Amino acid sequence: MITYKKTTLSNGLSVIANRDKTSRMAAVNILYKVGARNENPTRTGLAHLFEHLMFRGTHEVPDFDTPIQMACGENNAFTNNDYTDFYITLPIANIETALWLESDRMTGLDLSEEACKIEKRVVIEEFRQRYLNQPYGDANMLLRALAYKQHPYRWATIGLTPEHIEQASLEEIHNFYRTFYHPSNAILSFSGDMAEEEFFALAEKWFGGIDDHKHDIPQISAEPTQNEARRQIVERDVPATTITIAFKMGNRLSRDFFLGDITSDILAGGDSARLYEHLIKNKRLFASVNAYITGDVDCGLFIFTGQLLPTTSEEEAEQAFWSEIADLQQSNISAYELEKVKNKFEANTLFGELNVMNKAMNLGYYEMIGDLSLINREVEIYRSLSADDIADFATRVFRQENSSTLIYRARR
Amino acid sequence: MKQPPLTTPSKIDVPIAECHSAANGTKIYAIDCPEYEVVRLSFVFHAGTITQHHPFTASATANMLAEGTAALTSQQVAERLDYYGSYFDINIDRDYSYITFCSLSKFFMQTAEVIEQVILHPTFPTEEVATYAAKRKQQLAIERRKVETIAREKFANAIFGKNHPYGVSYSEVDYDALSRENIAEHYNRCYTAENCIVVCSGNINPEVLARIESIASELHSASNTQTISLPEFETIHDVRHQHDGAVQSSIRMGRLLFPRTHEDFIPMQVLSTVLGGYFGSRLMQNLREQHGYTYGAFCAMVNFQHTGYLALATQVGTEVTENALQQIALEIERLQNDKVSEQELALVKNIMAGEMMRILDGPFGIADVTTENILCGFDNSHIQYNLERIRSTTPEELRDLAQRYLAAEDLVKVVVGDFS
Repeated sequence: MITYKKTTLSNGLSVIANRDKTSRMAAVNILYKVGARNENPTRTGLAHLFEHLMFRGTHEVPDFDTPIQMACGENNAFTNNDYTDFYITLPIANIETALWLESDRMTGLDLSEEACKIEKRVVIEEFRQRYLNQPYGDANMLLRALAYKQHPYRWATIGLTPEHIEQASLEEIHNFYRTFYHPSNAILSFSGDMAEEEFFALAEKWFGGIDDHKHDIPQISAEPTQNEARRQIVERDVPATTITIAFKMGNRLSRDFFLGDITSDILAGGDSARLYEHLIKNKRLFASVNAYITGDVDCGLFIFTGQLLPTTSEEEAEQAFWSEIADLQQSNISAYELEKVKNKFEANTLFGELNVMNKAMNLGYYEMIGDLSLINREVEIYRSLSADDIADFATRVFRQENSSTLIYRARR
Repeated sequence: MKQPPLTTPSKIDVPIAECHSAANGTKIYAIDCPEYEVVRLSFVFHAGTITQHHPFTASATANMLAEGTAALTSQQVAERLDYYGSYFDINIDRDYSYITFCSLSKFFMQTAEVIEQVILHPTFPTEEVATYAAKRKQQLAIERRKVETIAREKFANAIFGKNHPYGVSYSEVDYDALSRENIAEHYNRCYTAENCIVVCSGNINPEVLARIESIASELHSASNTQTISLPEFETIHDVRHQHDGAVQSSIRMGRLLFPRTHEDFIPMQVLSTVLGGYFGSRLMQNLREQHGYTYGAFCAMVNFQHTGYLALATQVGTEVTENALQQIALEIERLQNDKVSEQELALVKNIMAGEMMRILDGPFGIADVTTENILCGFDNSHIQYNLERIRSTTPEELRDLAQRYLAAEDLVKVVVGDFS
């Protein structure tokens, strides 16, 4: 249970605070409601490039990192398909340093030609290091393109190709900043040992004077219903073949999100879960196996994936997933098994609440998805799900015509 | 608006771990933080890879403790831990293995039943060994497709010698010879009362402590104490390894130095932080921010029981590999020729202090630091010493250390990439 209070400044900035009396650190999180989903298909990777540029300094503070570090703080950021998140932890005595810097770069960024040029090169190296120079590095990109045809989830946060990043113009970058970086498109959240109202007063002090300038955010293309089984086979120089099957499922606020999540726990939540026990331990078909949901804001994916042992054929491996699915559809879930995944979910929720950074980040996230109170209701929702609910979910979602299968074949 | 004033911490309050002895002499260190309703319990054994007699047995032993015990099958162990929402982590380095369990306080007693089985009564069933070996063999083969993995292994080979227990790497084919007998032998020899310390944190009330003692006191005694004699190090300085088709080269440089107990360890940590220990470090400024050669570059001191080393690592575009190597050399020369400014040094000191505060914020981090201190023969008052030692480092001292320890001819340089 995370206690919190929320307020909204007159410029539209949402502010949420949690008081944690056990910590001597403060966590400050600022989330911008912009991700790869907001990109133009001809200029992908821009949201992530922009996250990098947010560290390039402002007219007021040319070097973002130094003041944070002088304050014994640490900061970082990430971008995904739905949002961009910046976070700072530092001793609570220095909290105003964090607010000063975040309020300053919300509008004051110094976006020079030179800064953009260097940052593009860094991001292109990141593209190479994480996606091109890694075994299976492009698997996720291939899967997205297979599963989504219209929705911007069809590309990964890094973008469709390094050329998109390379060719982004300074004007496009400025437009992006104006459109997405302003108070009413942001959420400021905090956890630390300070009264909530006191934090609100500091938020007002540092952010209250920033004018909001709302821009029309372009509509996102909806993904049409999938009506055919999709399949792609690629051959790469990797030691082992992997098979991935993705199914489209509901959005983050739908009941199917929770059903998908609990189903993935039954299949792959811990070493006693089904896929590990059945497919690795008993049948020895795979070296590793997993089932998870992407958990995106819009319609997400439920993913089965496994890396085959050399003795396993592709047909056997694929069939093994489908027979696990058939099992779920027949509602073969014992009360004990269901209780186990619910307990585990509850414990993990509690472990996650030990740390101020997690709490500040989660407060921002739940506000972003549009239901802050959900942060404390999820355990209860999990508790309410039954074996029949899961069977029904598995029947509706795990259908051939709703599947995208990627065979990532090891070249012999 | 104007920059707000700053406070720099001069002191970090850390509870001293209370030391208890189990009946068989095993030391149990307890850090009681009753405000957290969790228990974290670590068993640390002197059972790292240097103690193994056959390839991969040390890691296999640690990783297979939960794969079947006298009373529970591997599935039952996993089922019970999952049922109570408890989990465990296995870590192994060259010197030690660390087996750590976490549970909610309300389920600690039930979790302890499983912990007892895992730590005291593992059976290492033959069929589980086969599954484990096949899985790991494949994982290792995949890891070795990555230039950074190859560079890490080649670097250890180069710095310690390719047959030295600290430097050796084995072919993935050696997993085929992994046997139940070798693992059981390793367990019997290394997972003993004499070889173990126990560290616990969270809500450690008297009942919890008594239960932990009851487990620790059952650890068997070694029939004879093991002595490990390490051969001389055989360092080679220049390694280039061709990896066809790599679009980036992985670079590792560094040199053998000394363990954490050495008086220069902390100032060398400061020096390595200046060079590559944070986002705005010299290497990051140069290779990433100025030149865009890389996504990241790092440098750190690494501590082993019997030695330690400094290492820097980066991955750079294939076409700029030589330029990057040149820039790294220049950055090291700068440390030897020019004093670090007071301003930069103040920044690095605050970064290091902040890092310590972050780690020590909460019972789990305190337990990790406590463990590290105990293994080096210190208690938690050493944290304050470290903080003061960091604070007292001077620009002159860093320049002198760079001259003494980072001479170009002493450095080991490993590059893995496509040179064609």
